[in-house]
Amino acid sequence: MKAQDTRSKRSVRSWFGQWFGSVVLFAMPALALAVATPGEKAPDFSEVDATGETRSLKDYAGQWLVLEWFNKDCPYVRKHYGSGNMQALQKKYTDKEINWLTVISSAKGKQGYLEPAQALEVAESHKLNASGPFLLDTDGNMGRAYGAKTTPHMFIINPQGDVVYAGAIDDNDSANPAVIPKSNNFVAAALDASLAGQAVPVTSSRAYGCSVKY
Amino acid sequence: MSDRLSCSQSTRRQLSGVLLGLLMFLLFVPAVSAQPTASGDHVSVRWLAPETFAQGPETIGFYFEVDPGWHVYWRNAGDSGAAPRFDFMGASGDVGEIQWPFPQRLPIEHLTNLGYEGNVAYLFTVTPNAPRMELVVSLEWLVCKVDCIPGYGNMTLSRPVSTSANWLSQDLELRDQFAARVPQPGTASTPLWSVTSVSAPEREESLQLVLAAESTGKDPAAPEVFPLDGALLTAAAPRVEKNAREIRYTFERVPGAAVPPATGFVISDGRRAWQLDDLPVEVSAGAGVPTPVDTGQPLWLLLLAAVAGGAILNLMPCVFPVLSIKLLGLVGPGETVSGRVKEGLRYAAGVLVTFAALGALLLVLRAGGAAIGWGFQLQSATVVLGLILLFWVMALSFSGVYEFGHQLMNLAGHSRGGAFATGVLAVFVAAPCTGPFMGAALGAATLLPAYAAMAIFIGLGVGLALPFVLLCAFPGLLNRLPAPGPWMETLRQLLAFPLYATVIWLLWVLGRLVGESGWLIGTLMMLALVFALWLGRHHFRSSKWLAWALVAVALVASFGAVHRLQQSTPAAQNNPVQTTEGWQPYNRVAIGQAQARGQAVFIDYTAAWCITCQVNKKLVLESDDVEALFRKHNVYLVRADWTNQDPEITRALAELGRNSVPVYAWYPPGAQTPELLPQILQADMIEALFAEDESSER
Repeated sequence: MKAQDTRSKRSVRSWFGQWFGSVVLFAMPALALAVATPGEKAPDFSEVDATGETRSLKDYAGQWLVLEWFNKDCPYVRKHYGSGNMQALQKKYTDKEINWLTVISSAKGKQGYLEPAQALEVAESHKLNASGPFLLDTDGNMGRAYGAKTTPHMFIINPQGDVVYAGAIDDNDSANPAVIPKSNNFVAAALDASLAGQAVPVTSSRAYGCSVKY
Repeated sequence: MSDRLSCSQSTRRQLSGVLLGLLMFLLFVPAVSAQPTASGDHVSVRWLAPETFAQGPETIGFYFEVDPGWHVYWRNAGDSGAAPRFDFMGASGDVGEIQWPFPQRLPIEHLTNLGYEGNVAYLFTVTPNAPRMELVVSLEWLVCKVDCIPGYGNMTLSRPVSTSANWLSQDLELRDQFAARVPQPGTASTPLWSVTSVSAPEREESLQLVLAAESTGKDPAAPEVFPLDGALLTAAAPRVEKNAREIRYTFERVPGAAVPPATGFVISDGRRAWQLDDLPVEVSAGAGVPTPVDTGQPLWLLLLAAVAGGAILNLMPCVFPVLSIKLLGLVGPGETVSGRVKEGLRYAAGVLVTFAALGALLLVLRAGGAAIGWGFQLQSATVVLGLILLFWVMALSFSGVYEFGHQLMNLAGHSRGGAFATGVLAVFVAAPCTGPFMGAALGAATLLPAYAAMAIFIGLGVGLALPFVLLCAFPGLLNRLPAPGPWMETLRQLLAFPLYATVIWLLWVLGRLVGESGWLIGTLMMLALVFALWLGRHHFRSSKWLAWALVAVALVASFGAVHRLQQSTPAAQNNPVQTTEGWQPYNRVAIGQAQARGQAVFIDYTAAWCITCQVNKKLVLESDDVEALFRKHNVYLVRADWTNQDPEITRALAELGRNSVPVYAWYPPGAQTPELLPQILQADMIEALFAEDESSER
């Protein structure tokens, strides 16, 4: 009896050891990267805009803020600017006291990178209706903090500083502007619901578009 | 880069509208060959179709020839990009869904895309219903290197339909090459892998898919897994952990993505692929370890159940022979009352100490988070072999083959000493005989806080020891037993037979644990033992030493062999679940799918070493009437075999508030919470399930 007792204990112990090892492995966080996640606090940012003014998250405390990632050469950005869709959204919601910042995270030498003077020109030619000039996130810090993957990647931050939406502008990843009238605009839906005091219907989606050129 | 192209987008769109109208108009004019191809920057598209169509369905496709270094996309494009779109404007036949060959992961700077580097064919089936096969399709695609360029085009196809298909051989080859890469439909299992679970930890932004390899080959490679839902999971390669045949993929969820009730994947071995749709996703609280919870029943009630259950164990076939002999040993002349009481208390101490020790071991393992349950002793082949040895020696002694003059005899309860050891033995032999009342109490014990769990274990011990102690303490009771005499020897010999039966059953358990060779090893050990006994009885010179040596060698060899066998064969494989016709092995995903189909589900949580389970199985579950009932009501039958340690089944049991077998769980169609049936089944209980079912429908 004694002999098999110690044997079985040994096998239990070795099995337990293996098992314990695997638990330690599973307990490690899957990803250490914290990015802007709906339902959580928005990451801080502080970036210089095309006129040289610094804009930070805390400047917008207590207010609604929309962030939009931009690259003038991206076909998907063109889809929404060429059709006037993005500018119309900017106009509609900035008129309702909602802040809207358009961010360029392209690194120097990469597609979509703009010097401050060029950025002012592009804003002019694109009829940008945001709350301020383009934010120039040339080092990509803000884009990476938010986990901005594509242009146009959209984020909505509520007055409490929480992210309430992250993802694509709408549900149609065609590059063809003709599909816009038939598309479900997630950003407009989220803002309209929020302003009406209702829950945001869709809080997250796959951000379609071109990769951000960090 | 794409300025030129995109500037002309809107005009091109308008133009394409006009063109399409024109094409539709021209559709039935013979010999139209306008735009059989489409092209844009870095891409040209042509048909993969036969020169002449046959009458029946044919798989054809769009062949994308893509410049080196550029890529086009899969149905789920991944972190950026977009799948191509095929808009069928007109067709002289039935057109099927687009079939997407399995993709590759394309790391693009900080993102991962799912697509194809180089040429690819997007396939679909058509069944012509006119003399010519005509198609007009509007295409949109995105081709990317780092920068992306959208492309648009219209393509027409017009080919004759005849008696047989006539392909250009190189096109047919291309078609077949990509058709082989189109995922085959799968359910929860494919020929190479089956899905064990899909779960999403509540607090982490991840999702885990666990696959079990079906193949018996050595160290099967982990397949690539591609998520179908890009809004749920990022395209980044999942973290892969392999543990024997189990492969665990941890995907990163899109930040903030809500966990849907079900999701799908495509898995591929690099040559072929399978599509797994609608896999139910469980939201798990943590690492999947049940935490102590309130079982909802008052502790005193559970304790009462434990004591009652323990008392009933005395009547179980594995315990009864041992105890009755021990008891009869106390009736003999010259036994004083105080001596008997002492014996009884020693026995009780043995029982309680063993229960406490087992309880403590279970609690320690539980605190470590181990998914184990009562009966875990019998999930070890070495313990089972030990019990075979024990029961064999006891049975031989009961039969009078051998008079033990040493310590072992005390275990079997012949002489005065060893009552403590008898208590220890009683607990060990009782383990497989989980009786009524014990299930709920033991289940609770694994969920309750440590002190309450220990109280339940002690309660079981008290119950087991109580009848014996009472008999010892009250000589009046003992005196009602017949006077000692030669009949005791006869009874002892008779009681050897349940012990032999137990040996046979344990050999069967061993076979289930380590495979066929378990029988051989067990019986050889038994043979060696009997031979050693025979040698020991004949006093030739040094025969005793020989006998001892033989015993030692037999024990070392057999225990070593079963231990190695169990270590070397992973649980999933050495225990080919006896898939009796109609019964499926336990698979959480398949069960979820059956429930989603609206099927009723019956789960038989069982183990080879659980006698109650085997009796229920033979007498009730596999009786003709019950089988017919199950078939008639299209019940999804699951046999959750817990013979070997299986964390999935342990977890499922814990969710039911149990930690022992048998458990019978019945999920009526559409129900998510089961009804638990009694541990001793009757056929009419199963009939009642359907009677209720029918009356509630009316």
